[in-house]
Amino acid sequence: MPSRRAFLAGLTSASLTPTLGWADVGNPVALSAAMDQSGRYLLVGLTTQGDIAFQVPLPARGHAAAAHPYVAEAVAIARRPGTFAKVVDCSTGDIIRTIRTPTGRHFYGHGAFSDDGTLLFTPENDIASGQGRIGIWDRSAGYKRIGEFTSAGIGPHEILRLPNGALAVANGGIHTHPATGRTKLNIDTMRPNLAVFDTDGELKDFAEVPDAIHHNSLRHISAAPDGTVVCGFQWQGDPFEAPSLVALYNGNGTLKPADMDDTALYQLDGYIGSVSAFGPGRYAASSPRGGLAFQFDASGQQIGTYRAHDVCGLCATPDGSCLVTDGTGQVHALVGDRLIHRTTHRLAFDNHLTAI
Amino acid sequence: MRFALILPFLALPAHADVQTVINDHILPGYARLADETTELATAAQANCAPDTLISSFHAAYDAWISISHIQFGPLEDQALTLSMSFWPDPKNSTGKALARLTSEADPIVEEPETFGDVSAAAQGFTALERMLFEPQPDADYACQLTQAIAAGLAQKADDLNTAWPPFAELMLTAGEDGNSRFQSELEAQRTIYTSLSTGLEFLHDQRLGRPLGTYDRPRPRRAEAWRSERSLRHIELQLAALERLAATMTDNNLVPISAAFAEAQGRADALNDPALAGVADPAQHFKIEVLQQAVRAVQVAVIDGIGTPLGITAGFNALDGD
Repeated sequence: MPSRRAFLAGLTSASLTPTLGWADVGNPVALSAAMDQSGRYLLVGLTTQGDIAFQVPLPARGHAAAAHPYVAEAVAIARRPGTFAKVVDCSTGDIIRTIRTPTGRHFYGHGAFSDDGTLLFTPENDIASGQGRIGIWDRSAGYKRIGEFTSAGIGPHEILRLPNGALAVANGGIHTHPATGRTKLNIDTMRPNLAVFDTDGELKDFAEVPDAIHHNSLRHISAAPDGTVVCGFQWQGDPFEAPSLVALYNGNGTLKPADMDDTALYQLDGYIGSVSAFGPGRYAASSPRGGLAFQFDASGQQIGTYRAHDVCGLCATPDGSCLVTDGTGQVHALVGDRLIHRTTHRLAFDNHLTAI
Repeated sequence: MRFALILPFLALPAHADVQTVINDHILPGYARLADETTELATAAQANCAPDTLISSFHAAYDAWISISHIQFGPLEDQALTLSMSFWPDPKNSTGKALARLTSEADPIVEEPETFGDVSAAAQGFTALERMLFEPQPDADYACQLTQAIAAGLAQKADDLNTAWPPFAELMLTAGEDGNSRFQSELEAQRTIYTSLSTGLEFLHDQRLGRPLGTYDRPRPRRAEAWRSERSLRHIELQLAALERLAATMTDNNLVPISAAFAEAQGRADALNDPALAGVADPAQHFKIEVLQQAVRAVQVAVIDGIGTPLGITAGFNALDGD
């Protein structure tokens, strides 16, 4: 029989390496960063119904979180141009590790785990060259940095695990330098793209934004079970000249623009905040500046427009609907062709919902 | 719309009286639009010559600019915003759409029930302005197209005017069982406030900001409705309309808001530059910039006096920008 001391020591070490699964923390289907009424930052898990499965404090404002595929563990990544990420045990709320970028790098707010949950990938800026990098971190070795590869572009923003295990990276194309904050340094020459890699970092496919609309910065991506990637853009020119701000990628090196009507485009300030592939041939996009969310069919036709103040977070749920959050604490669901209000929390939900 | 978004935390007692805004501002505004566009369509039917239509064109366009900040409700539900007025138009969609109809002599102008299917850019006041103030290659077709646009405007305005009372009922029964459109009276108030703040933002960023461009590169041809020399008039009309709306939204804090509006109105009235062509002249450019700053001061006064007491602040996500 182990001594009391050994037993307690065992508990302590267990708490550093959580083995509880997502079902043990209330079965959340999505993670979101948020701010509460007193201005404190949180990471929350939401259920399909929009209820809060768990919430844990964060030391600073989050952007998006990477969710481990099995274990109730998340990595909350600092907003651009932050240099740290917090590994959170979602069963205890403990921050079990802080990851820091190597010198001369910063994060872009997003990250993704490999299929088996052993590796974490983080888009980064190599500040000196302005080139995008994907950092590789080994979870089993305490999130030790074990390597990196080029993102095949500038300003890699969201990274995504595809159903076939590959990684998709949205290279926004915009060069920024921490010395000048978020000032955009290369608007005239920017060339955004979607790059697909295997987990060794080998480039498998590459889809560039066409020359004529090279100001369309690709920022956010979401994949359907069939591998189709829906892309959300942020236009860097006159917002009334913006082309379609949503596109579909089917793995053949091209981005097919979705069919967005002028009435929609005129209200968005050229800005899509999040996208989601959430049902068979169904895609959603949100624009917090327009207070609008949209639904598209498999061909990219805009088939629904929904008003919600400061709407941004979108995420597929297992029942085939799309969870929708906004900066006023509301949780909605896109069900069929309707946006249904689920519940309201006394929180401001931050930009992104991450599917678990 | 963009930066007029909302945090839920500060549900302080609100002063905005939704009923007053609807009865004193919105319903009369849309009724006037319906009346003036009907007169315009009738006049165009009787005589489509541009010079005979100028005065009814101005009266109807005035009515539109005086209510176009109320974008929620029927205008949004029927997706008529751009087909009432297609501006800003940096891609010259209006010119292209009208040129296509004219070059093909498209007979759709003879079919009032389907004319609403043509490009939104060919349907509204911005299209009608081109017909009346630019030379037309084919006078007969231009006559038909003018009549079709005017009739379409009257039809749309009538649809909006008809749809407003039932929509108003939804706003007035906010939070009641079965009302899925407005969850609370506060939501209805926020919606109205958003049209005020968005209207001011549009005035500052687009109606003034587009022609101003930069000091080194002013853009007079980006002024709204410069062909009919209505650019400054739109600014004055919108200021007046937004001031009336602001006055119905607060009992307490009106003095600084009224002072800010008066300052902006005074600056606008003193410009004496109907098409804002003066943006290309350094001295005049400066005066128009001062007007733009006066509009910014109105935005601040409205946020302080109405937005903040309603618990409305800039959007958490809208302002984050990543």
